[in-house]
Amino acid sequence: MNRLSKKLDELKKQNKKALVAYLVAGDPDLDSTLDIMHMFVKSGVDVIEVGVPFTDPIAEGPIIQRAHDRAITKKTSLEDIFKLITKFRLKDDETPIVLMGYLNAFIFFRHLIEENKNNSVDSILVVDIPGELNIADYGIKNENINTISLISPTTKADRIKSIANNSSGFIYYVTLRGVTGSSNLNVEEISQNIKEIKKYAKVPTLAGFGIKSIEDAKLLSSHADGIIIGSSIVKMIEDSSDSKEFAKIGEYLSDIKKAIS
Amino acid sequence: MEVKNKNLPDQNGFYGKYGGKFVPETLMYALEQLEETYNKLKDNKDFKDQFYKDLSEFVGRPSPLYFAERLSKHYGTGSIWLKREDLNHTGAHKINNTIGQILLAKHMGKKRIIAETGAGQHGVATATVAARLGLECHIYMGAEDVIRQSLNVYRIKLLGAKVHSVDSGSATLKDALNEALRDWVTNVDDTYYIIGSVTGPHPYPMIVRDFNSVVGEELINQSSELFNAMPDAIVACVGGGSNAMGVFYPFININQTRLIGVEAGGKGVETGEHAAPLNDGEPGVLHGALSYLMQDDKGQVKETKSVSAGLDYPGVGPEHSWLKDSGRAEYVAVSDEDALRAFHEVSEFEGIIPALETAHAFAYLDTLMKEFDSSANVVVNVSGRGDKDINTVAEIDGIKV
Ligand SMILES: Cc1ncc(COP(=O)(O)O)c(C=O)c1O
Repeated sequence: MNRLSKKLDELKKQNKKALVAYLVAGDPDLDSTLDIMHMFVKSGVDVIEVGVPFTDPIAEGPIIQRAHDRAITKKTSLEDIFKLITKFRLKDDETPIVLMGYLNAFIFFRHLIEENKNNSVDSILVVDIPGELNIADYGIKNENINTISLISPTTKADRIKSIANNSSGFIYYVTLRGVTGSSNLNVEEISQNIKEIKKYAKVPTLAGFGIKSIEDAKLLSSHADGIIIGSSIVKMIEDSSDSKEFAKIGEYLSDIKKAIS
Repeated sequence: MEVKNKNLPDQNGFYGKYGGKFVPETLMYALEQLEETYNKLKDNKDFKDQFYKDLSEFVGRPSPLYFAERLSKHYGTGSIWLKREDLNHTGAHKINNTIGQILLAKHMGKKRIIAETGAGQHGVATATVAARLGLECHIYMGAEDVIRQSLNVYRIKLLGAKVHSVDSGSATLKDALNEALRDWVTNVDDTYYIIGSVTGPHPYPMIVRDFNSVVGEELINQSSELFNAMPDAIVACVGGGSNAMGVFYPFININQTRLIGVEAGGKGVETGEHAAPLNDGEPGVLHGALSYLMQDDKGQVKETKSVSAGLDYPGVGPEHSWLKDSGRAEYVAVSDEDALRAFHEVSEFEGIIPALETAHAFAYLDTLMKEFDSSANVVVNVSGRGDKDINTVAEIDGIKV
């Protein structure tokens, strides 16, 4: 069992909610990314989602787009990201790592995913493919890497079923119609849809996309098995990209963790 | 290779290995709905009657096939015929597609229309059909294109649509498409996205091709009437590839007609600074489809370079990738410099100022006409008129207008 499945199992047994934190690799530089990843873990983060920068991230709002741009200015590639994760693993061999990105980069560096040295990456989430498909459908084969599928508020019942059947890491419920960082959460709809997903899902269902405040986190974690925080972290990284003082992010995440525990 | 590809795409939206639906999950339902609607309507008599009525009465179709006498004499190796899409209402082929797609939007009950535009022609064509139906309309346009196509920006505004200038990335067509997709993800319930070329996720490349195919269908009849044969070659410029696909598609099984797509060579294909993915790209995924794509050595999409805003795009419609690999069509590139020269030449020889995009197709005649003798019939698809480009060309020529 890989780190992600193991972690999610553990949390479930302890009746705890998962906290997933997102950043973009190479924003503002790879050394900072490494530091922030370790800090995530110290602050109670259960799973790290590492964004793979792409020139055309169509599902991202302005905050995460700018992070992709900064990382690309530093020429951060998937090759560099595998090296970063290998380094991270020297100190931390427990925290699950999910790569989140766009299909083109994964296809381009297919050999790295197939090789996945020391199994340092646990899971892959491709933003721009239909929920019922995964990297294997695009010829990228690695049985030790599990895949995370997205389900959105516009996904109809028949497809929810087939997507739920196909996910192996967790199901990522996109909480709103929109790009990352938007703010139009409809809790009623979210709660209903997650109930529907859970009828079929063999893996936990986590919620993400518009979660910013402690209140959002609390509310959504009462419906889902965990939450994913992205844009608000990336915004803090942006604000500190010159000073490189990222401690505030740790405090923010500790507060969230407390709120959902 | 035997080419039997008129019945593509397959049911999953693939042309050979190209095409598909590579979009965030939120858009999957919208694409399914669109496909269902289109499949239901495309052979419906009322729908087709309405489409052709609008094309005839509002657009002014059929567009003439015109014998370019002085240009033909200039080359001396055959007859050059011009398929006059520049004479359409709004000044380019783009209106054929928007006339069709707005009917789909209306049928689906959508209240809000969005589109991306590069040269502004698709923005104008979309704002035009939206105005006709009184629908709210938003056009995304790269900040760089807003400057170089300022005339069209003003036209779009006059038509009552809102222009959103896009600063991200290279601030050109690719980034306008990104932003339009983001809008669509956000407003998917009440919004119809009119994509302006044979690009994007299935079913768009098919729908845009089908609506533009009226051009090729007319050309078959006009060729019989005017020179009693099928053309020896058809030349069309390729940005996303909609004007080319529209004129190529009805000819796919007419094997004696060479199909030649001309990409934007920018500063020259060999310099790497161009917009010619079929000449110098590798298959990759952008904007919902797998197709030839300009990428760097890290799998990132490369910035493009072309004097023509409508061709300044790193990708290309998936059916062109298939036509390239299958050998049914040929794809070449022409530099900025040669396109600009053709722009002036055609204006002076024929009294027709072509769009800078179209000027690329004309420029390739220099090479192509050497391969023919005087019995040849060559058709250039005149995708649009050049009024929008006057400022750009004058500036390059050092003239203040
Ligand atoms: C006149 C004209 N020709 C050609 C194009 C290129 O588009 P496509 O390759 O889809 O025909 C454009 C795009 O804006 C245009 O305005």
